[in-house]
Amino acid sequence: MKDSLKISFSSHPKYLSVVRMVTAKIAEQCGFEKKIVEEIRLAVDEACANVIKHAYKGDTSKEIVLEYTNTEKEFTVILEDKGTKADIRSIKGRDLEKVRPGGLGVHFIRRVFDVFEYDEKRTEGNRLVLRKYLGSEQ
Amino acid sequence: MNIEVIDHKGKKVLTLSGEIDMYSSPELREELMGILIKKVPALYIDFGKVSYIDSSGIATFVEGLKYVKSYGGRLQFFSIPGGIMDIFKFSKLDRVFEIYGNLDDAINS
Repeated sequence: MKDSLKISFSSHPKYLSVVRMVTAKIAEQCGFEKKIVEEIRLAVDEACANVIKHAYKGDTSKEIVLEYTNTEKEFTVILEDKGTKADIRSIKGRDLEKVRPGGLGVHFIRRVFDVFEYDEKRTEGNRLVLRKYLGSEQ
Repeated sequence: MNIEVIDHKGKKVLTLSGEIDMYSSPELREELMGILIKKVPALYIDFGKVSYIDSSGIATFVEGLKYVKSYGGRLQFFSIPGGIMDIFKFSKLDRVFEIYGNLDDAINS
């Protein structure tokens, strides 16, 4: 059975703490263990922060839509924005061996989600799909 | 996030509490760089009450570390909770930052 929750919020960093709270609660309800819940919370936070920083370039008045879906097979988070399209080829975290500020967010997202994928058919804005298959690391 | 600057027997200690994220890290950066710009020989950061840190918070400390190293100073972290330590380890920054169990260990290092 499919189970889902959709929230919409302004692209202001002050709402990230609320997003983290909701994300952690949903992940908990899906039965993930504490460590994975914390990793999912950080990953979704980083994905939203990227939207604020890159897609909306710091404009705090835009809309971000988050949809969480849980099925027997997978836990999915979809982030939608109407900002500048992400340059998919340029998205890669920094080499972890090289110490410099920035470039860690993508690593935090890929650490816990099995799928990190932009909907390339989208003509305006971005639709990022984060998917975690159940049964592997719960 | 709350920031407190304490003078402990002549040593500067920055005590942080709460969540360090994209919203709060600009304030942390201002406070951190405001101290480091005075070229203090060592700045001790108390992580004991930090409940969360994201990549923007980490980037702030990496920037602070680079600056402190530029003048030969030290940035020393102590009382890091397990969840925060996991993030430092995953980022391989546990090898880069000076990390101690408590303030005395940091001071005596």
